[in-house]
Parts: sequence; structure tokens; C-alpha cells
Amino acid sequence: MRLLAFFFIVVSLLSLVAAQLVLKRAMELSTKDGLQGSRFISLIIVGIAFMTISFFLTLGLLQRFDLSYLYPFQGLTVIFITAMAALVLKEKLNRRLIIGALLISAGIVLVSVS
Amino acid sequence: MQNRPSGFGNPWLQLGLSVMCGFVSELLLKRGATDVAHPDSAWSWTGVNGLASPLVWWAILLIIASFISWLFVLRYIPITIAYPLSRVVDVLVPLGCWIFLAESISTLRWCGIALVVIGLALVAKPVAQIEERL
Repeated sequence: MRLLAFFFIVVSLLSLVAAQLVLKRAMELSTKDGLQGSRFISLIIVGIAFMTISFFLTLGLLQRFDLSYLYPFQGLTVIFITAMAALVLKEKLNRRLIIGALLISAGIVLVSVS
Repeated sequence: MQNRPSGFGNPWLQLGLSVMCGFVSELLLKRGATDVAHPDSAWSWTGVNGLASPLVWWAILLIIASFISWLFVLRYIPITIAYPLSRVVDVLVPLGCWIFLAESISTLRWCGIALVVIGLALVAKPVAQIEERL
């Protein structure tokens, strides 16, 4: 039960990270190509698909655990998204942003394990 | 950050709206999912049976609103700033659970909430300085 729950939590988080990166890329494209471009539309569809997977897995998990315990796991996505945005989307990071993201994630993990 | 619309289209206002819609939707999802929970069913892991609750549908509407605001935010604000700031919801949700769902908050959990708030302040400070210069 615990292992299965962990598996679904991880899949849900990875889907959420992928969704945010894809959607950010789509919205960047929209500033150049407008909202009609085929690449923009396909990326939005892929992003929504990832978010939908994450949503239903979260809904399944919510039926078994307290929201205040379960939900903060999503806070780990702060580190993943910040790191992946710098790596994949080439966004600039500075020390303050990195420390801020680490503190937010640490705080959220503390909330989730308490 | 590029030139951005002002007024209701201001991406920082949209970020706030997105967070508030996300916050309320989480509380509705928890209440709705619990109302119709059948943990013995294998399919319940997928969460699909949660759709039987009207509260879940209200939550879905709020999630869509939050999503549209979020897309607007992503268009104008780097995700390395916007996403950490959007996690203010991780403070609001436990507080909301405490106030509205009667779930308890331990001392350790309060410490976690404090860390999140400090982290948010660190991420938000350069943003505030940029806004002052504009």
C-alpha cells in the first residue's frame, strides 16, 4: 500500500513538472507566433495531458490521505521545476532564487513529514 | 520580463488569482473526494470515482480558471520566479485545512510553514525591487 502510494505520488509529481515546462515553452512561443501556431497548440495539448494525469492520480491519493499530508509533496516540484527551467529553458538563476527555492521545498517537506 | 499589460491583465494579479483559485479548489477536492471515497475499489486509485461529487466539479471549474490565469502568468514571468511564488498555496492549504477541515497542525508543521514563508520572501524580494524601478 505504502509503496504503491509512493509510486503514484512520484508519477503525479513528474507529470506536473513536465506539464509546467511544456506549458512555459508554449507560452514563450505564443509571444512570437501568436495563439494560432500549430506548435503552440500541440504543446498546450501535451501540457494539459500531463496535468490531467497528475490531477486524477492526485484525486485517487486524496481519497486515502489527509490533504495537509499529501498535498505538500507537490512542493518538491519547486526544486525540480527551478532546476529544469534553468537546464531546459535556459532561464537565469541567481543565488537568492536557488536558496529561496530550497527553503520553500525544505519547508514543504517538513510540513509533509510532520 | 517583457512589457506586460496593466490592470486586470497584470500578470502579478493573475498570479494571485491563480493561487487563490488553486487554494479553494484543493479544499473542495479533499471534501468532495472524501464524500464519495470507496478505498476498497482498485479503480479508486485513478480518482475517477471522485467525479460523482458535485464539489469535485466545482473544484474542476476553479482549476480551469487557475490554469488560464497561470498560462497568462507564464507568458510574462520567468517560471523560476513564478512557480516558487505560486507555492504560497502550500502555506495556505495546511492553514485552510486547519481552519475549514479541522485537521491539526503540529509544531513541526508550523516550522515548515515558516521556512516556506522565508523562502517566498527571498524569491519575492528581487521581484519587488524590479517593480520599484519600473
